Amino acid sequence: MSKKLETAHAGTLESSDAFVRVIPMDEKGIVIELESSVEEIYGDAIRALILETAKAMNVDGIKLLVQDKGALDYVIKARVQTAILRASGDVKPDWSVLS
Amino acid sequence: MSFLFSEVPSTSSVRRQKVRDFLQSVDLEMSEDVEIFVVAKEDDRIVACGGLSGKVLKNIAIDESVRGEGLALSLMSELLKVAFREGRHDLFLFTKPDYEEVFESCGFKYIEQANHQVILMENSYNIDLYKKRLRKYKHSGDVVGSIVMNCNPFTLGHRYLVEQACANSHWVHLFVVKEDASFFTFKDRYRLICEGLEDLENLTIHEGSDYIISKATFPTYFIKDKRQIDSLYTELDLNIFRNHLAPQLGITHRFVGVEPLCAVTNEYNQQMKKLLTRPSEFPPIEVVELGRIEYGGEPISASRVRKLMQQNRLEEIIPLVPPVTYALIEKMMSKEEVK
Repeated sequence: MSKKLETAHAGTLESSDAFVRVIPMDEKGIVIELESSVEEIYGDAIRALILETAKAMNVDGIKLLVQDKGALDYVIKARVQTAILRASGDVKPDWSVLS
Repeated sequence: MSFLFSEVPSTSSVRRQKVRDFLQSVDLEMSEDVEIFVVAKEDDRIVACGGLSGKVLKNIAIDESVRGEGLALSLMSELLKVAFREGRHDLFLFTKPDYEEVFESCGFKYIEQANHQVILMENSYNIDLYKKRLRKYKHSGDVVGSIVMNCNPFTLGHRYLVEQACANSHWVHLFVVKEDASFFTFKDRYRLICEGLEDLENLTIHEGSDYIISKATFPTYFIKDKRQIDSLYTELDLNIFRNHLAPQLGITHRFVGVEPLCAVTNEYNQQMKKLLTRPSEFPPIEVVELGRIEYGGEPISASRVRKLMQQNRLEEIIPLVPPVTYALIEKMMSKEEVK
């Protein structure tokens, strides 16, 4: 996935969900800004999950802003994946990468 | 409890009146420049709303009867969805200091406050980037001047002010108000300023931003007293200038033209003197008021030029503006005639 990304989002701010925004950056890399209601206990684990999810989709040069409201792992993963797919305008995703 | 969300566009006057009534019931005045409202209803009764105006979220209110049910977050989800759909990704909002945490949990960050009554927040964190960018233009010196100008259009009066500032400073930073809310577009205003000041060597001309006298930083609704709205707005603007922008450039002085005519601008100048020098962790900025130059017994001002344009008295504009400005006015007026 190397095409130009656009700003996109997925999810909501409601309890047990996560609100994810993808913002393209000029520099390389993946920047994660997480704000979580369970930061103290799961903050690092969530950050690792977000990074892993983004890396698996082969994106670069993006900032991921995540407002987590205590979402379960697979919710966060799905929201991140959806936001990145929307950012890339990809309508035919490679499902094997997203599993 | 489930709530039904809907959108109220500015064209729908009946539903907009209902929003106005709801806002009134929670002691807020509806801001007329809101383009789209997001409304939450319970049993056909409005219980919460929030509006989008440019890149500012406004009139966010929740009825007391439904507070504490997480409605704020649902409402903000909907409102952000609408804003993003409209292509407005970098958003601002004003709120009372008490609500800082609520909006923080929606991804907004505190920028600045005024008089402990209002805070400005943004969801893009662009101010950090902006500050970093400004730092590249830093010039050291004992006197580093600054001017903020709209120049609608650029006149010899503006030029005199900048000349004076440059003559009295090691370096001068000139900010051009970016908001396209004036008769002359930003693009035109900026070009005229750059061309009209080409010869000044110790001057950097900056495009303004959302953080310096912009529409995006104007709280209008939750304080009823009009006079207080203005002074809160100016305080916010000046606090951002002093605490965020000036330190990046090492600004020590701010130059303004004396304002004999407009009471509001004059008060802004007076407030500036007070706020930019009061004790704080940031160094004080000295405000220098410069006299205005006159022509034909009257001060040269942009409003005078616009008035002459309206009356089609082009000849009389020539002695008031630099040639570049006059060339543009002539061009604009000839197009007008063709119409």
